[in-house]
Amino acid sequence: MINAKNIYLSYDENKYVIKKGNFSIKEKEFIFIGGTSGSGKSTLLKSFYGEIPLKHGELRIAGQNVFGIKGKSLRSLRKDIGIIFQDYKLIKEWTIEENIMIPLKINGYSNDISREQATKLLNHVKLSHRLGYYPNELSGGEQQRVAVARALAHNPKIIIADEPTGNLDDYSAEVVWNLLKGANEQLGITVVVVTHRVPKNFGIRFRQLSIEDGIIYEVS
Amino acid sequence: MKFLKNTFAFVVPLTAMLLSFIIYLFSSNILENYKIKIANDYSIVVVTNTPLIKEDVTELAGIQVEKIITLQKNAIIDNIKSNLSSSSIDLLKKKLPHFYKINLETFPTTSQLETIKNKLYSNKNVRKVEIFSKNHNSVYLLMLLLSQISFILFSIITIFAIIMISKQIRIWFYEHHEKITILKLHGASILYSSSTILKYAIISSFISFFIVSGIFIYLVDNIGVLLPNDLENIVQVTLALNDSLTKIFLLSFGISILTIIGVLLKYKIKYD
Repeated sequence: MINAKNIYLSYDENKYVIKKGNFSIKEKEFIFIGGTSGSGKSTLLKSFYGEIPLKHGELRIAGQNVFGIKGKSLRSLRKDIGIIFQDYKLIKEWTIEENIMIPLKINGYSNDISREQATKLLNHVKLSHRLGYYPNELSGGEQQRVAVARALAHNPKIIIADEPTGNLDDYSAEVVWNLLKGANEQLGITVVVVTHRVPKNFGIRFRQLSIEDGIIYEVS
Repeated sequence: MKFLKNTFAFVVPLTAMLLSFIIYLFSSNILENYKIKIANDYSIVVVTNTPLIKEDVTELAGIQVEKIITLQKNAIIDNIKSNLSSSSIDLLKKKLPHFYKINLETFPTTSQLETIKNKLYSNKNVRKVEIFSKNHNSVYLLMLLLSQISFILFSIITIFAIIMISKQIRIWFYEHHEKITILKLHGASILYSSSTILKYAIISSFISFFIVSGIFIYLVDNIGVLLPNDLENIVQVTLALNDSLTKIFLLSFGISILTIIGVLLKYKIKYD
């Protein structure tokens, strides 16, 4: 599903954040990417959806080469991915239902089908009682559940999550982990999570990568 | 409230531009009508030795020649034929020069008439050129000046309006940057991501169009508001409502859409 061969990532020419990155992630795998702050975890994740361009090497996501990707190909790649951010990135002036509808409408689903699917997903993340609410009217944990629902909405091949529980209390974090585990186990979606703290007793098979000084290691 | 504030900043320059456009429409229409009104208040009569080849005289002093009318000699002969024998009349018919009246497509100014006269005299076959005209020159030139000033004013206001509209669109892009970024991260095109901005621009264009159309229709029906009563005998407004409204509509949306495309391309180059 994700194959990296000798990849280099950097914000400027002089210093590489990721050096000689080689790894492979299979379909339906659950992957944690760990490492200290500033080690390049988020940078690596951003390169998966074309936010940070590759300097060298080859990176294939769901069959698409990410090197130099832009325009239509980039939009097509992003349609295959569900993204969850630490700061949720919900559109404040839209209701949570409308936020969940975003990937569906971008993928060409009608308004009615998108709304129906959004309602189902709100039920799935146990927020059906918040239908019609705006993101600012929800707690951080609830907002992240909306973000998870949005990432699941269009049945993506991969879910990429950048510190999804970084701003959450333990209870909310557990709810989010359960939703991600469900997406992986029940829907067979490949999940890649960047976190500096892998949860204990996770309950499903997972693999862990770590980044130290720009080098990617296999942990277990 | 925010929506109103946002659209107001777009509507004001666009409305100012459209208002200057209708002023230009009025002034050019008044000028055209005046030209038609005075079009026959001049006469150019040319006397030539040999028949005038009409195809050689298509333009005079930058004005297209509408038609060249051959004046019949019979009227001259009829006046004097009582004193002449039939052989003398035949000889006279052969010896008399050719007379023509030239009609131009637009009214010539005094200086243009002088140029026409010289141009015609440059033809060796032309024996005499006589020009008779009423002096509309000062009023005509004043109207021409008014029309040109209104066009210059319209052009200047259009440039400023485009600058202000593009500034407002850039503000909208700045305000919606986060939303656009989120939508793009989910695979949306720049056009889809900025659909809210497009909606603002279209609504603003409609508002401007309706305001200016209302003012325009009112002015067409009540031209006295724009012109003093004394001028009503001299000038006339005959603007076709549908044609003019179509022009205002196309200008309103054309300018808005072109400005949006410009800002959109700039945004795409910067962030894509």
